Amino acid sequence: MSERNLITLNGQDVEFTAGETVLEVAARHGLEIPTLCHDPRLDPAGACRTCLVEIEGWRRMPPSCATKAMPGMVVSTESERIARHRETLLSLYLTDHTQDRTEAESYGPDQLFEMADRYGAEQDWGAMETVRAARPGDRNPYVHFHPESCIVCARCVRYCEEVEGVSAITLAGRGSKTTIATVDELSLLDTTCEMCGGCIDVCPTGAMAEKMPITRTARPERELEKVRSTCNYCGVGCQVDLNVDTAANDGAGRVVKVTSPPAGTTTNDGNLCVKGRFAYDFVEHPERIQVPLVRGADGELRAASWDEALERAAAGLLGVKERHGADSLGFISSSRCTMEENYLMQKLSRGVFGTNNIHQCAAT
Amino acid sequence: MTNSIGEIRDADFLFVIGSNTSEAHPIIAMEMKRAVRRGATMVVADPRAIWMTTIAEKHLQLMPGTDVWLLNAMAHVIIEEGLTDDEFIAEQTENFEAVRAKVRGYTPEEAELVTGVPADDIRWTARRYAATPRAGIYYTLGITEHSHGTDNVYALANLVLMTGHLGKESAGMNPLRGQNNVQGANDAGATPVFFPGYQSWDDEEVVAKYEQSWGAPLSRRPGLNLNEMMKKAGSVVKGMYVMGEDILLSEPNVLALEERMNGVEFLVLQDAFINETARFADVVFPAAVFAEKEGTFTNSERRVQRVRKAVEPPAEARADWEIVCEMARRCGVDWQLNDPSQIYDEFVRDAPKFAGISYQRLETEIHDGKTGIQWPCPTPDHPGTKFLHQGGVLRGKGLFTAVDYRPSEETCDIHYGLLLSTGRTLYHYNAATQTRRESGLDVKQPEAFVEIHPRDARGRGIADGDRVVVTSRRGSVTVRAVRSRQVRPGCVWMPLHFAEARANVLTNDAGDAVTGTAEYKVCAVEITRAEEGSAVEGLFPGAYFGLDGPGPGAEVESEG
Repeated sequence: MSERNLITLNGQDVEFTAGETVLEVAARHGLEIPTLCHDPRLDPAGACRTCLVEIEGWRRMPPSCATKAMPGMVVSTESERIARHRETLLSLYLTDHTQDRTEAESYGPDQLFEMADRYGAEQDWGAMETVRAARPGDRNPYVHFHPESCIVCARCVRYCEEVEGVSAITLAGRGSKTTIATVDELSLLDTTCEMCGGCIDVCPTGAMAEKMPITRTARPERELEKVRSTCNYCGVGCQVDLNVDTAANDGAGRVVKVTSPPAGTTTNDGNLCVKGRFAYDFVEHPERIQVPLVRGADGELRAASWDEALERAAAGLLGVKERHGADSLGFISSSRCTMEENYLMQKLSRGVFGTNNIHQCAAT
Repeated sequence: MTNSIGEIRDADFLFVIGSNTSEAHPIIAMEMKRAVRRGATMVVADPRAIWMTTIAEKHLQLMPGTDVWLLNAMAHVIIEEGLTDDEFIAEQTENFEAVRAKVRGYTPEEAELVTGVPADDIRWTARRYAATPRAGIYYTLGITEHSHGTDNVYALANLVLMTGHLGKESAGMNPLRGQNNVQGANDAGATPVFFPGYQSWDDEEVVAKYEQSWGAPLSRRPGLNLNEMMKKAGSVVKGMYVMGEDILLSEPNVLALEERMNGVEFLVLQDAFINETARFADVVFPAAVFAEKEGTFTNSERRVQRVRKAVEPPAEARADWEIVCEMARRCGVDWQLNDPSQIYDEFVRDAPKFAGISYQRLETEIHDGKTGIQWPCPTPDHPGTKFLHQGGVLRGKGLFTAVDYRPSEETCDIHYGLLLSTGRTLYHYNAATQTRRESGLDVKQPEAFVEIHPRDARGRGIADGDRVVVTSRRGSVTVRAVRSRQVRPGCVWMPLHFAEARANVLTNDAGDAVTGTAEYKVCAVEITRAEEGSAVEGLFPGAYFGLDGPGPGAEVESEG
């Protein structure tokens, strides 16, 4: 097609690439359209209707997440009609959602409350009787389902099927009873679930939540400091946000949660696995070695000062070198440590002790 | 990896061999799942019916250690049917004739006899791989942890070169790195054969450069690799400095190693937890973990990414880099390095492939919508390299290497009738010093197990959940048996993570002649029933996977 791929977005001509949706074009141009059910990793569902826009010549307002941009489209993302629609819709969603904001936010960030604030939706239309079933007997250690916060956007279910590909959870029931279920109400442990926690990551309301921070009464996520780092498990190099309660441990800080950076910004595209998202307890484990140890005359390891331990270590290795030569020493570095630490280890081996006997556990 | 993780979703053909991707690299598996959902074709070659086979078009369930046969037979088909990329071969490679001559004898029919993979499946896979423009190969330790691991890699490289699937997007040859910083540790020169940045240890110019840079005379003697160090522990190697590794859990044939360790006069261990190796340590330094320090990890796709300090280390623990600096000082050398960014700057100063990367760039730059910079990155204005060999093979000409099949060092006999492979599971990690301390993960997978095919279990009177003794020529361990159709008849599989049932008591320390990488993937074992146990539902991959549940085969089994 020779025609340029242009649409008019709130009065401005903007380009799009074939296949892009109106929502994607808008996001690329810094225009935020609210949505509760969409995630860039998922196929568009068009279910929540918060992302409706007006298109010239279209009688109905289509969901921008599921509407492909076409040349010549004239799109408005803000209008009196859209605003009225959004307010009503968000107020209706709130009737199917816990009214207790403090409680809701103790499970995770709640985009519905935030959106209601932003778009001035009434928050006092009363509440539907909650009949959505929970899964109280689920003994899985990580994922908690809080039905009072669920608005059945099904992001979690779709993520489980489309991204993780295991379909461990499903929508069950009809109407206001629709809930997020497993087969036979099994614990997630006994399903195909691989505990990636993607359902928690995509949930807009905290209905899918992490068990550990809840049971440890961590502060709400917005009060935690996020430190961007790289996961320390496999070689994918997922970027993680370590959520730190900076006041804990007398100011030394405590990692209380690990979240993924937004989709589309890092190699892991917003995804994490069971280890990356949940396996951070080891950081504060009581069995961590607290002080240097040296082997005493009785053959047992005992606590020592850094000074003593370093002197012993240096003298010990230099002694072996003196007795048997530099190549009688072996330096075993680690692919679990940083590049900088590996660099220093080989510099120590080659530059200080004079041997090329330096290697680590890398085998691929 | 020649290519990037983000390119996988756009591949049209994925050949996954020796990689249990969904358990060992879950996030890369997600990219593969995305590709398959989009319509890509995936073929998995693995002795086990791993999860990835459930979405694969074909599963080539080869006998452990027969990879060269399979790959040479694929090359045979590609050449015989004229599916080679002759232009690429002529312009960008050398030594193709040697491979052509070599694989002539590797017919798919004979390959079927050796590998157990039907000849038609080999043909089909070879044709599809060669004929699909965006075809990538993805492999992990199932390829390298063999006494012929290097040959396996050459055989794969031959396929890539003869089809020209190199130097373009969503194709290439992609080893998925096992540890967070395998790439970075090698980049840093923590290997006997390279100075930092892959500069040869025996290149006199390089040695002289580092002598000047570090102000110290350097050894011209070759160094030992890890496998050699372990074999010579106590005899040649009398002193060790071990940072962040549990050699007595991770190294093969550990009982023999333990004996040799008695001859080591002095051992310094630096770790976050007391591990098996600590039994031999004279000094133990308490080390900080990743959340407690600054630095960089480099991932499988050569992407350098920051590690940032989030919390303080406990009590007197210190970052590894601080401890190593202090050790140098105690040995009379003050490096005057007080910050990881200074160390990084020193590293790139003498390593041309990395010269353009700095902490400041890592902090501020975004390339292709992602943070981090992929080396090679020779200059400060270079954006990094998404995939290698674009516009020409890096070494000038891609080198074909003809390889012959060599059997694994150890095969079955009347005493040891089963082939054992070891590997990782989703729920634990390596020596599991971290993951075994996670209450949640230990709920999901609390103890060691061996997967055994129902047919082999029946012959040995073993029921699901029984405690069994697994014995090799080197030692034995007691674990729980899981009857599973994930493994082939004649083959068994164990995870390597469990200190109380160390799989590496069993494994063979025969190493690859080039890399020294040990044969973790193939050794001969026998299994006997120790005591009756009860099956624990849902805890083990076999049961969890539903492969040994009630099915067409169930009745047949109960008769036996």
